[in-house]
Amino acid sequence: MAVPGLAQEKAAVKPGFSMPTGKPVRILVFRPDVKVGSQSAGGVVTPNAEWTANARKNLADALVAAKPGGASEVVFMTDLEGENATLLNEYRSLFKGVATTVLQHRLFKGDRLPTKVTGFEYTLGPGVAKLGELGGGDYGLFVVTNDAYGDSGRKALQIFGLLMAGATGFGGMVSSGVHAGYAGLIDLKTGDLVWLNADLKMGGDVREIDGASKRVSQLLEEFPGGTSGGVHFLPTTK
Amino acid sequence: MNRWAALLAAGAVASASASTSGAAGPVPVGSPAVAGYQPVGVDEQGLWGEMAEAERALKVSKLLVRDEELTSYLRKVLCRVASADACQTVRILIVRDPQFNAGMTPNGMLLINSGLLLRVRSEAELAAILGHELSHFERRHSLARLKAARSATGWAAFLGAAGAGPLGLALIGNFFSFSQEQEREADLDGLKGMRAAGYRSRSAGDIWANLRAEMDATAAARNVRSRKDKRGMFDTHPATAERLAYLRSSTVDDPEGEAGEAAFRAAISPLWPMLIDDQVKLNDFGGSEYLLAGLATSGWTGPLLYARGELYRYRGQAGDFEKAAGFYREAIAKPDAPAGAWRGLGLALARTGDGAAAKASIDEYLKRNPQASDKAMLAMISGGSQ
Repeated sequence: MAVPGLAQEKAAVKPGFSMPTGKPVRILVFRPDVKVGSQSAGGVVTPNAEWTANARKNLADALVAAKPGGASEVVFMTDLEGENATLLNEYRSLFKGVATTVLQHRLFKGDRLPTKVTGFEYTLGPGVAKLGELGGGDYGLFVVTNDAYGDSGRKALQIFGLLMAGATGFGGMVSSGVHAGYAGLIDLKTGDLVWLNADLKMGGDVREIDGASKRVSQLLEEFPGGTSGGVHFLPTTK
Repeated sequence: MNRWAALLAAGAVASASASTSGAAGPVPVGSPAVAGYQPVGVDEQGLWGEMAEAERALKVSKLLVRDEELTSYLRKVLCRVASADACQTVRILIVRDPQFNAGMTPNGMLLINSGLLLRVRSEAELAAILGHELSHFERRHSLARLKAARSATGWAAFLGAAGAGPLGLALIGNFFSFSQEQEREADLDGLKGMRAAGYRSRSAGDIWANLRAEMDATAAARNVRSRKDKRGMFDTHPATAERLAYLRSSTVDDPEGEAGEAAFRAAISPLWPMLIDDQVKLNDFGGSEYLLAGLATSGWTGPLLYARGELYRYRGQAGDFEKAAGFYREAIAKPDAPAGAWRGLGLALARTGDGAAAKASIDEYLKRNPQASDKAMLAMISGGSQ
């Protein structure tokens, strides 16, 4: 996959972190945030229930099969109720907030906060341990994907845009649908974000079994392994 | 892309979408507000699927006001203006948001902002709003909006109108925005429901008259021009003046009907402390004064006086702390004075330089509310007593 022109690190690992070896590791996956739709010529996205349901199943199966980082087991968080459901909802929102900050101010070099140039210090706080107790896991995995497949009108517009660009110097830049995703791993004892990977232009058609499997392997790129940590240190230059 | 290139591209959109229209399969008919209804066709199924996911998150959100008694009251009013089926299928959720707003998602989730409950003054006004929102659902306005958005002429307006929803769920925001024609249609449907239920239909117009007066009050305090007749380029709602006019003219010959002011007050009043507190923190002095005065038409209660004190203390302009102290003192003289009145009085007096009186008042507050979360800070202000 080509990385967009903007200087972007696609993934980051907390310096010094590696998956523990010599004991079984359980990864707890929180209900992935999955959206699949079609994109019209004008850019309007129509959600598609069938595609979304298929993608949800395919991605879940692929995640379990992938056993990221040599995990002994990948389990999904059970449906929670009452206060526990509210707690998970809060942490889900918090994760999204933190992930957005990392994406904007850490992974994209152009907009790095002065205090976040080096290192990778982000945490959801130790309260997240409660989620580990509820679901039974050592690490928590959040997954977000958003896909919109261009319909025939969108594709026509894309070609038109390219023609315009060729003929006049204007136009172009009509993107072909939306295929974005990110995933993050939380240490469920400390709440620390230990790994985050994001890509605005992902491959793999999530509506198909094989495509979803390819998408999951892209989502899990640079997932920390069980060997030495710190190999994924980000460059410290500004 | 420059302007003319954009126009040309729009031409391409028109022809391209013409070639793909009609590919969405079966078209749903009849009301979706019936028990066991399943969405029909790709578009409606897509909307419902996405909204089911949003509803899942919303139902466990901390921003919901989980008050069973209040919710069942709202449901009771909805059921008076709705069919038996709609009454059963629509879910009412109260969102803690101090702005005046309500919304309906395409799958039948009716969202009511807490700020709306502070502004509505009678059960009839509430019925007008609930009936209006129900109409959006029964007439599938979101679905029509989505289809219009995909056509060449509609999409720019659709995108422009897509703001973040009350919970920052931009997605819900998308489906919230209806066209002016749809809003008018829903307003008129709302009136029909009110008439059938015996409610005072003229109250529907009162909502907008009140809102306009509040906007005037906000503007006057800020020394700016009122926004009551302002309509942004992408604003889809009929201007309040226009809305008020057609609601008034459609109801001029209606019988008086039931306003239900006392019933509404009784149902909402337990929530007032929270509603008023959220409102006072909006930094909208004029609007808040207007609302407090409206609530105090039958007399200033302890909580209302306390709120007024808070309002002046937060503003903190010359003379405001003295005025605030006055309102807190009036509140304290009432049998229903909230403990916060002593806190407010202490903080206001500390700002006017009356340290001894401030200390006495804060000590009294801490005696009345020993579990206060800001206990340590208050103790410091009152001079380290504890």
